[in-house]
Amino acid sequence: MKALRTLTAVLAMGLCFVSAAFAAPKAITVASDATWPPMEFVDANKKIVGFDIDFMTAVAKEAGLQVTFKNTAWDGIFAGVEAGQYDAIISSVTITPERQAKYDFTTPYVQIGQILVVPKAEKGTKIADLKGKKVGAQIGTTGAMEVKKVAGVELKTYDEVGLAFEDMAAGRIAGVVCDEPTAITYALQKKEYSSKFKIVGKSFTKEAYGIVVKKGNKDLVAQLNKGIAAVQKKKIDLQLKKKWQLK
Amino acid sequence: MSTEAKKQIIDVGDGAAIPRKSDRGLFTAWRIAFFGAIGTIAYLVWSKPDPYLNILKFVPDGIAVTFQVTLGAILLAIVIGLITGLGRISKNRFFNGVASLYVEVIRGIPLLVQIFYIYYALGTIVKVPAILSAIIAMAVCYGAYMGEVVRAGIESIAKGQREAALSLGMNGRQTMIHVILPQAVKVILPPVGNEFIALLKDSSLVSIIAVADLLRRGREYASESFTYFETYTVIALIYLIITLFFSKIIGVMEERVSVNK
Repeated sequence: MKALRTLTAVLAMGLCFVSAAFAAPKAITVASDATWPPMEFVDANKKIVGFDIDFMTAVAKEAGLQVTFKNTAWDGIFAGVEAGQYDAIISSVTITPERQAKYDFTTPYVQIGQILVVPKAEKGTKIADLKGKKVGAQIGTTGAMEVKKVAGVELKTYDEVGLAFEDMAAGRIAGVVCDEPTAITYALQKKEYSSKFKIVGKSFTKEAYGIVVKKGNKDLVAQLNKGIAAVQKKKIDLQLKKKWQLK
Repeated sequence: MSTEAKKQIIDVGDGAAIPRKSDRGLFTAWRIAFFGAIGTIAYLVWSKPDPYLNILKFVPDGIAVTFQVTLGAILLAIVIGLITGLGRISKNRFFNGVASLYVEVIRGIPLLVQIFYIYYALGTIVKVPAILSAIIAMAVCYGAYMGEVVRAGIESIAKGQREAALSLGMNGRQTMIHVILPQAVKVILPPVGNEFIALLKDSSLVSIIAVADLLRRGREYASESFTYFETYTVIALIYLIITLFFSKIIGVMEERVSVNK
């Protein structure tokens, strides 16, 4: 009798697990380099927050995925997805042909552009005006690539974009190139910088962010695309843009 | 008298010449490592020019910067080390106190933090180029270690040497310069060589303050071409070749000194 009861209990438990496995959303880990406000950064409570994080959470909800975020250094963030340390990246990643050749992207979810931030005294309005000077950008970003294209300007690469702004505040470099929302945060919204820096000109590239997935992981791309479509249909992305003050 | 002549006299006096360490056998660990590393790079470049040759073309100015930082820092660190070492054994309480405080504070803070701190702290006072502040940061850190090496070297010289010099009528300074330090150099040289190699490797930390050294050049290449594994393989091999090359030079220098025992 006792044996039977145990058996029933075990069976019931097993059933529970099986049904749970069917019902529970698939868990994925998503990497983000949380040094890029307002898209992704660490807040005063040591939590990763930002537009991308909220957006990813909404997408995951729509797509039936359970998401955990992992703060990862930008330098090597692609190597990590390739090595399978996490399933996807949401970290203001611009979709470029070079990256598309190596990794799979979801549909674009935000349009942005690169923009130049300079000290208030600077008269130049584009990178080419800063010939003979040093211009900073985060290593491996599209901003760094744009600076590199301009002959006569020396590119200095930093591990984090915040270090580039700090160096400009110290007077060592004459400009910083980064994504427009981030530039706005550093030049206009950060108290310690808003009196020192200004944004010049308009954003000079047309870029779109996508979520990165390891090459060949078509299932996840399809699932995420479904989620993105749902989020956009419900206009959740517009609410989030308002929340994080994106244009 | 030339060193060669000196060596011969000693060799004759001591009986059969003692074989130099590096002459023992063709396949020493050093040779396997050094030529193995060069051979590996050559093979990689030959078999897969893309990306290996491209990486090799991209990084040379980074190697130059790494050398610049290392050599600048080691020279400055030796000067700081000598002063600190003398301070640590000095009977002057102020000099001794300052030197000891410097050693205690610097040894207790990670190099990476020091580099960061000196770079941004200096930046608020004077506009120092990144590379110079990297050299200063490395020298300040390694000067403290070097100070301890110098102190240990001086303390290792037998008391009798000092007593003998003093009884010959030399004053304290003469004793130090003509008797103690020349002997201490022999003791100090191997650990200084060690510090040099360690400094060379640690110089990779300065890439944090946007100094375009070997590691940063590699990272720049890797992050644009997405060839992380290949790039870091080449970077590791280049560091290995450079450090092995210098360890050989230091080894030869040590032998030169020990021949004149």
